[in-house]
Order: sequence, then structure tokens, then C-alpha cells
Amino acid sequence: MPAYAVRRLWQFFPTLLGVVLLVFALFNWVGGDPAYLLAGKISNPEQIENIRRQLGVDQPYAVQLWIFVKQIAGADFGASWATNEKVSEIIATRLGPSLTVLVPLLVISTILAMAAAMLVTYLRGSLTDRAIMIGCTVGQSVSILVYIIVAQYVLAYQFGWFPVQGWGNNLAENLLRYSALPVIVGVIVSLAPDIRLYRSFFLEEINQDYVRTARSKGLSETRVMWVHVLRNAAIPIVTNVMIQLPGMLVGAFLIERFFSIPGIGREVILAVERSDFPVLKAVTIYVAIVTMIVNLAADLLYKAIDPRVELE
Amino acid sequence: MSTNALALPAGGHAGSRGLWVLAWLRFCRDRVGLVSLAVVVIYFAIVAASRIGWIAGDWSKEVGVSYAPPSVMGPDAAPAAAAAPDATAGPVADDTGVVDPLAEELAEIRNGLAGLSDSEPRAATLAFGGDKWGRDVLQKAIKGTETSLLVGLAAALLAAFLGTLFGAQAGYHGGWVDDLFNWFYSVFTSIPYLLLILAIAAVLNQKGTATVILILGLTGWTGIFRLVRAEYMKHKVREYVRAADVIGASDARRMFVHILPNVSHVVLVQISLHVVLFIKSEVVLSFLGFGVGVDTVSWGSMLNEAQNELILGKWWQLAAATAAMAVLVTAFSLLTDALRDALDPRIK
Amino acid sequence: MLRARRFAALALLALVLPLASEGADLDKTLRVTFPTAETGFDPVKVSDVYSGQVIDAIFDPLLTYDYLARPARLVPNVAETLPLVADDGRTYTLKIRQGIYFAADPVFKGVKRELTAGDYAYSIKRFLDPRNRSPYAFLFEGKIVGLDELAAQAKKTRRFDYDAKAAGLEVPDRYTLRIRLRRPDFNFSHMLAFPLVGAVAREAIEAYGDDTNSHPVGTGPYLLKRYARSSKIVLEANPDYRGKIWDFAPGDDPLDVEIAARMKGRKLPAIGTVEISVMDETQSRWLAFQRAETDIEYQLVEVAPTFMTEDGRLRPEFERRGIRLDRSVDPEITYTFFNMQEKIGDQPNPLAGFSKERIALRRAIAMAYKIDDQIRIIRKGQAMRAQFPIPPGVAGHDPRYRSSIPYDPQLANALLDKFQYKRGPDGYRMLPGGKPLVIRYWSMPTERDRQFDELFKRSLDSIGVRLEIHKDRFAELNKLGHECRLMMRAAAWIADYPDGDNFMQLLYGPNTGQTNSACYRSPEFDRLYENSRSMPDSAERNRLYRQMARLMEVHTVWILADSRYRNVLLQPHVVGYRKHPVLFSEWLYIDLDPGSRK
Repeated sequence: MPAYAVRRLWQFFPTLLGVVLLVFALFNWVGGDPAYLLAGKISNPEQIENIRRQLGVDQPYAVQLWIFVKQIAGADFGASWATNEKVSEIIATRLGPSLTVLVPLLVISTILAMAAAMLVTYLRGSLTDRAIMIGCTVGQSVSILVYIIVAQYVLAYQFGWFPVQGWGNNLAENLLRYSALPVIVGVIVSLAPDIRLYRSFFLEEINQDYVRTARSKGLSETRVMWVHVLRNAAIPIVTNVMIQLPGMLVGAFLIERFFSIPGIGREVILAVERSDFPVLKAVTIYVAIVTMIVNLAADLLYKAIDPRVELE
Repeated sequence: MSTNALALPAGGHAGSRGLWVLAWLRFCRDRVGLVSLAVVVIYFAIVAASRIGWIAGDWSKEVGVSYAPPSVMGPDAAPAAAAAPDATAGPVADDTGVVDPLAEELAEIRNGLAGLSDSEPRAATLAFGGDKWGRDVLQKAIKGTETSLLVGLAAALLAAFLGTLFGAQAGYHGGWVDDLFNWFYSVFTSIPYLLLILAIAAVLNQKGTATVILILGLTGWTGIFRLVRAEYMKHKVREYVRAADVIGASDARRMFVHILPNVSHVVLVQISLHVVLFIKSEVVLSFLGFGVGVDTVSWGSMLNEAQNELILGKWWQLAAATAAMAVLVTAFSLLTDALRDALDPRIK
Repeated sequence: MLRARRFAALALLALVLPLASEGADLDKTLRVTFPTAETGFDPVKVSDVYSGQVIDAIFDPLLTYDYLARPARLVPNVAETLPLVADDGRTYTLKIRQGIYFAADPVFKGVKRELTAGDYAYSIKRFLDPRNRSPYAFLFEGKIVGLDELAAQAKKTRRFDYDAKAAGLEVPDRYTLRIRLRRPDFNFSHMLAFPLVGAVAREAIEAYGDDTNSHPVGTGPYLLKRYARSSKIVLEANPDYRGKIWDFAPGDDPLDVEIAARMKGRKLPAIGTVEISVMDETQSRWLAFQRAETDIEYQLVEVAPTFMTEDGRLRPEFERRGIRLDRSVDPEITYTFFNMQEKIGDQPNPLAGFSKERIALRRAIAMAYKIDDQIRIIRKGQAMRAQFPIPPGVAGHDPRYRSSIPYDPQLANALLDKFQYKRGPDGYRMLPGGKPLVIRYWSMPTERDRQFDELFKRSLDSIGVRLEIHKDRFAELNKLGHECRLMMRAAAWIADYPDGDNFMQLLYGPNTGQTNSACYRSPEFDRLYENSRSMPDSAERNRLYRQMARLMEVHTVWILADSRYRNVLLQPHVVGYRKHPVLFSEWLYIDLDPGSRK
């Protein structure tokens, strides 16, 4: 097991190298010239040249790549081109709001989806099962954009149950007041696919030999469900949630924009609009690293709990 | 990475013909599946008709007034007298002394032109309402269906093609080939999907349906790759492949003639899953400004346009696009479930 | 000791200005929104209007504008009087008021720091420091004697020598600033009133180094209290502010009269706290305003029909709720330019040149453009047709001038027929020689631009001219524009200062590669422009402007489109608000009357 972990850790480097090359190629080579964005309304070629020199984008690609590698090694991506804010500070301050929404969202949606999935597994093949599964499919078929627009309009504006948008200064206020509606929208959106996925995990377990053995030993179906099936199905569920998290940091930008949550996703869209490459590069690299770590952790978790899994 | 290796079915080598017949028989017993199939077939028929030009051929024609409401609601209260035309059509007092080089020609043409009016009558209401230019929302939705379904299908096929090709190479050859593709795979999956999309969009730097298909296809192959690779790893050690080896079949032949039919059901299910996924992604791409071109319309472009229309009380475009999309996506997803059940009876 | 000194200073201030800023009520909080994140608050490092609004509230330029006078009128701010202009518009001398202090900040180590003329010399030099890469360097570039030489030196040594003297930027004594220009310029006072040309303290700039964007230290009415980047900005009344009294003469406008009656004599700033939230989506801003979560909202074009009637008034249901509307025309024009260069890259440009045939093609496109649809549908009626290249509210604007290019697709078609642009089998026209004709139009990948794409496509289809739409990002389009490689693109220009020169320079030949994206080089126009530049605002200059406008039309360089209305919505308790055409923020001049709130 430790040997496996070490081997996987070693594999980080080629992957990271690939990510670095890809990111570098995308932003420095084909990413366009940010100087014209920063130059203002009236500018002449010397000013453009000056900006390019200040940003270092007039250097040969090899030099720029080397600087980029050094930045990654030192975890210092310099400052945003648009605002001069330190990139490390941007990430540090935007991570909190993102997590304030994402963590409750993932926890609530996982718990609800697990409960629903267990119920339909228990009732598998029944009318309820089919109805819920079809309901989930229908729920999944509407775009997240529609969910957000309608929820904000109806729940926040017309009914006045939530603030339309906003973000406060302390955690309690953000968590209870401002995150409530975004979390609800997020849960509604992710519930349907989660139920479908978790149901398949439960079914997978129910068909295992050990469950049959347990049943044949005379354990009640309820007990089989709660003790054996739940415990084993929890592994893929938990790893699934873990694996989702890094992608959602960036992927929640629609929610963050509509509800004015100063999170990572919104910052990424802003950086794209401003061609603010230092921010984009840093976020990409960090998320890539976190993704790799989480994937490794998930695999190790599997291995630790279920020795049948053959690790590649 | 290993979750799926676990979940894969054992069937396959019993001869592919039998598998498909059995699957079809199983499928016929699934009523939800049959209904969904019917719905999907109807959608395809509509798309075909619109492609040929039988319906929605002139979706871009402005037939109604701006934001013509649906017929059931009746026309809007007559707007306050249409904005008075510029009271300045004629030549204006000119103290500048600047001479128009075209003055002669224009004067000549003006004399020849009778005061014809080119305005066409516009309907005050449309069956399902009109958009801001007065185009029929129903026709737009049909045209949008064509585009979105085309995008979803083409992108899914592209992703499946790439995923299968790479997965087959990696799984069949193993060794450094496998390592190479795995490396490629982990690089692609480590980068956040959104950034990957934005980056590829930036590289392609073109707008249009083909670009959307490329963006989705080039970013979406990873899931299929993983499954196909696992399948190939399993199959390459099976007897029938070894038998093919004995009679001297080439690697390529073994990969695509012998093994592929036996894993094609996995790919088929994945394709239909990805169609749904890509249709939904197209909406987000449109939001980010990388949607289809201006001379066509998709559900994504409609939803995006309709974003602020809800507040204006013009809900019909949002409703039409959402409904058209919801029905197809639901039917397609249920069809996928039914397919999976039929092709892979072990999980029930 | 320290407190005593401060007290003494306060007492002194009270003598000079009996009503210093103790008027600001810290419990009065104004809540406003930005639709786009700010970039920062170092005056030389930003170019977006949102950062500008905050900078406007924190820093003091030498001059400013009268709050109510229209067109905007210059008045002294920290200068004692308007500048003394001598030497035919070449020398500007200003006296700065004594006893103005920077807001307390740790960099001053507890000592009160007085504002001096040297601070302005320093602040102006900063615009040309290559390290600041200021987007507004053009305000001073090439204008002040000796300053560009310092900048050129800095490019070589990589360090701007702020201690070096520039001959044209003199500080003869502590409170006097004398600026000498390289050539006569009667608009230079506007540069000194530009909200970004406020005084910074050298100590603060040097102490905060790379982080000046989040540590603004100025002499203005507000200071930055709390700052969560691109999310929330909280400003608080500056306790060291010298204070101002609301005292502006209203014109004929009854609204102005009402405001003056209500506001006259109030101590400024009256509002203690300004809380700015960044909200990206229109739906969010509109719903938040309607639920009274914000006090002022000015960026709601997309949903305007929900609160505006077709004739430009507030809908009665909002009037009943006490919500008020402040409507004005932005000092801007929007236009679409044609590339006038013979070649784009190495491709021939079918739109280029001054031959009759080419002018006819441009003219036909301009006459086919459905400008009414742009105003009615894209702008939701919230814009007025622009007739003249200088918008209302800007010196040189001629309200009686009418464009000679009507919307007339029939005439356009006939014109193309006459010049042998024959239709091919697919219904699209070809060049007179029979070669295919394709117009390439460039825009950004946004929903807003998509509407213009659709409109241009429809307009050109109506005369059988094939339009190809090309997409690129903002930065790339700017780059291509600088290189004269855009065949056609929609653009907008908003006044930096309220003078027609700021608009007419967009067509000046030598500005090709900078602001003249049409790359229009007409010797005739350039001669007129050069003449106009050496004149102050006058009837004679206006005549030149009219000639230039007509020349642009007969050559058909632009399709001049519209100027947008700004519909500012105010909650009932906001009093004294009038959108100012040039100032970035009005927070200093308004108040909240809690009586009207509930």
C-alpha cells in the first residue's frame, strides 16, 4: 500500500508537467495579447510595448515557460494584471465564500440523495421507484440556468423568503442568510443526478454475495440495508463527492454570479473577461493539483476499505 | 479510477448477434423505454423535416411585432403611437459647403423611385409568441431543436470516436502506449472542465456550430476512454481474441473487428448519455459566449436571450426552449436507462 | 499633544469654514451597486468607470465641475480660482488653497500632512511613469514641456526620477503650480478636473508599493473603510475633510430648482457611509433594487421596459411607491466604422477608399442599417439617435444639425444597382467586376453583441450584401483595430472631458493606430481638425465641427448610431441626485432623508 501511494505520487510529476505545458501553451502562446486590454482608450505603440515589457510577455517563450515553472515551484504567481492584487491573496480570499456555499450544498445534497436512493433501492421495481426515477430524469432535463433564474425570481423576489443576492462579513450571516438560496438551488440541481447515481451504487451492493449470505442467515431486509449495504455503498458515494469538489470550485460560477458570491468561479469568469492570465494560470494549476490529490485519496480509500479492488 | 472496473459486466463473448437480439426482446418489454423511444423518434423526424426545409425553413423571418404574445393571451395593448419617424428625412439646411461626391447619382435615383413603402404587415400575436425581432418562437424552438440535437449527437459521436480509439489502443496494447494515453487522460481530467472549455474555445477562436461540436467533443472523450480501456483490457485475454491471434489477424483487426462489436454496447450507452450531457453543456457554452453563430439558433442561444425576458414578462421564449429541451432530454435519458437495462441485464 | 494639535487645526478650519465636515452622519448609509468588478483605487492604474467613481470620492483634483450647470462648467476645487491661462493657452498657473490635509493614515506617522502644489506635480508625473503603465497617460503625454523627456529617460533607466525637474511642471512656491505646454491647448483645464487627476501623497505611494490599488490616501470627502475586492467596497466620510457647503445655482429645470431648494446650505458630505456591492447580473440588480436592498440603480437597460413608459417616464406603479427617476443622455456616441485602408492584412478591402463606387457601397450599408430597430429593440427605447459626432452636453454639440444619411434601404438598393454591384444567383451582390463581395464584421462573443450581429445581418441582407461575422475577445479586437485590420466594427466613445475635441480626434488621420480605428485619412478633414484644435470653444470652431461632420458623412466613414439615456432609479429617501455628465460619482452632493424612508 505505501509503495503504491509512493508510485502514484511519482506519477504526479508527469501529469503536472502535462498540465503546465498545456496551460502555458493555451495562455502564453494562443491566449492573445493582454496589452491592448490594459492600454486604455487612447494609446500608442510605445505604450503597448511598455505594457508588454512590464508584463514580461515580450520575452522568448522559453524564458516565459521557465518563469512559469519557477512560479509554480515557489507557489507565487505574482500579481493580477488587472488589479495588481497578489494572486495568492485572490485565491485565499475567494476560497472561503466558495466553500461556504459548496460544503453545505454537497453535505445536504449527499444526505438527501442517499436517503432517497436508499428508499428507492428498498422499493426497487415498485411504482414508487419508477416514479421517483422518472421524476429525477425530468428534473435533470432542465438547464441550471433556468433553475437559477426562476428560483431567484420566485423564491427571493416574489415570495421574499431570501435576499435576492448579497454577501456579508461574518460566517454565520453568510451561511444562514446569503447562502441559503444558492444552496437550495444547488441541491435541487444536483439531487436528481445524485439519486440516480447512488441508486446504482446501492443496487451494485445488493447483488453482492455477502448480502445474499446475510439474508440467508435470516437478517431482516431493513437490517441488511442499514448495516451492510449502506456501509459498503458509502465508499463510492464519499469518493464521488470528494472527486466532485475541485471541479465545482470553478463550476459553480453561474450560482456565484447570480447571487453575487465572491467565490472562485466568479473570479475565474472575471479573469477570463479581463484576460487576466496570472489568475487563470494559478487557478488552473491549483485545481489540477487538488484534483490529483483527491483522486489519489479516493483510490487509497478504496484500497484500504476494499482489498478486492486491484490497483493499477 | 477503479470504481468502474468493478461495475463492468461479464457478458460479451457469447457472440454479438445473440446479445443484440436478446437486448431488443428485453427492451420491448420496457414500456417506459418504448414511449421514450417513440418521443425520440418523433424529435428526429422533426429535425429531419426541419433539416430538409419542410418546416421552420423561414424561422428567421420577422412575422410578428416585437415580443408578440402567444395567441391565447391576446395582443398587447396598442403601444403609444409608434415613435414618430425622424422629421428630417429631407435635405437639411447646410452651411458647411461640403460637396457630396454622390449627389448627382442620388438625386437621379431619388427621382426614379416612387414613394413605395416596404413595410410588411406584422401579426399582433403568434401561436406561441414572438421574440424581440418578432420571429415565431415555435419555429425558433424547432430550428433550435435541430441545432441542439445535431450538436449533441455530433459531439457525442466525436467524443465516442476519440474515447474508443484511445481506449482501444491503451487497453489493448498496454505498456507504454497505455502509459501515454493515461498521461493524456490525467492531464485532461486534472484541468477544471470550465477552464478547459474556455481554453479550447480560445484556441479554436471561431464561432459556429462546428466549433461548439469540437469544443464539446474534444473535452468530453475522457469518460468513454476510461470505460473502453477497461473493456479492452478484459477482452484481450479472452479465448476468442487469442484464437484470432492464432489465425494471424493483425492487431488492428483484432481491436476493431473482433473486440469492438463485443464492447459496442458500452459505447452505445455512453453515446446516448453524452448526447444529453452535451445538449445541456451547449446552454452553458452559450452563456459564456461560445454558442452557435448568429445565422442559426439553438436552445442555448434561446435560453440566453430569454434570460432577461422573464423579468419583462415575456416568458414564452424561456418556456418554449425549456419545454422542448426538457421533453427531449427526459426521453433520451429514459431511453438510455432502458438501453442499459436491455444491454446489461445484470443490474436491475 | 497630538490631540491638542488636531483640535487646534480643527478650530482653525472652523474659522475658515464655519461648517466643516462634522455634518456627515455615519448612520446614513447609501447602498449602491457596480455591475462589473472594480480594478483598484490608484488613480494612475485604472481605466474603468467603477474604480473611477471610488477614486472620485477619495481624491481631490485641482478643479471640478459645477454639480448642476449644464453643459458642465469648470469650477475650482482645491485651487483657489480657475487657472490663470497665459501665453495664448500655453501657460497655466494655479494657486492651491492652504490648510487642506490628507486623510490620516499610518504612513504619516500621526503627523498631519498638508496638501501642496508639489503633490500635484508628483501626481501628474506618475501618469507618465512607465512602471505604472497608466491607461490615462494620454491626458498628459506629449503636452507638458520636459515631461516626456523624463518618461523617455525612465524607459532607459527603468526608474522614473521624480526628483528631476520638468521644465513645464514648476512649483515656484509651496502652493503654486505652473504648467507650461508644448503647444496652445484651451482644453487643458479639463485635464486638471479629470477625476483621476487627484493628488496622491508620495509617502503613501512609496510606502504601499505594489499595493497602492487597495490603499488610497487622498484629501477627498471619503476614505476607504472596508474593502473586499470585487465584492464589497465601504467608504466612510473622511473626518479630516475640509468640508463643503451645498451651494449651486439651479438653471431652468424645475427638478434642479426643487433640488436646490431642498439641498441648499447642507454640509457635505452629508452621507456618512457609502456601501458598494458588485452585482454581475441584471436580474439580481433589478430584483435587489425592487426589494429596497439598494438605494440607487443605474445600469438596468435590459429590463428598462418594466419601469419605463415608451415616452421616457417612470411607470405609474413605481411613481406611486415614491421611486424617482433621473434621466439624462450620456455624453457618448455609438457608431460603426468602416475600414478605409486599401488592404486589410494582405487582402483587398472592398470598403476602402474615396472612389465613388466605394463610397456608394459604404453609403448603401449606412442607409440600410436599421437604426430604429437598434434603438427600439436592442436599447429598449432608451437611446436617442445621434445626428452629430459630438453628443449633447459636450461643447461643440449642435442640436440642430441633422445627418444627411437617412435610413432608406430602397435608395440603398438602387444605389448599388447603379454602381454595378450585381446580384449573383444566390441573391447576394458581387463586386462590379463580378468577384464575390463579403463584408467582415467583428464583434465580441457576448449576448449583447449577438443582438447587434443579428441586426447587421438583417440590415445587410435587405440590400443583398453578404455579411460574415467574426468573433474575438476585447483585447484582440483592440489590437486588430490598432493595426487597421478590422473591416467593420461597432464602437462607442464616451467623453473623457466635455469638449468636442475629444470626439473629433477619433477621425484625425495621424491618430490612425490609436483611436482612429477607421484609419480614415482625409487631408481635408485633417486640415479642418488642426484648425479647430487651436481655437477655444466658439461659434467659429462649431462651424468647423459642422464641416467635419458633413465631410465624415459624405465620405461615409461611420454609421453614426445613438447616444444612450441613463435612467437612474432612486429610492424615495435619496435626495439631491442629478446624474453629472462628467463627474464619476455624485455621492458627495446627495443626502438621505430618513423621513421619506418608511
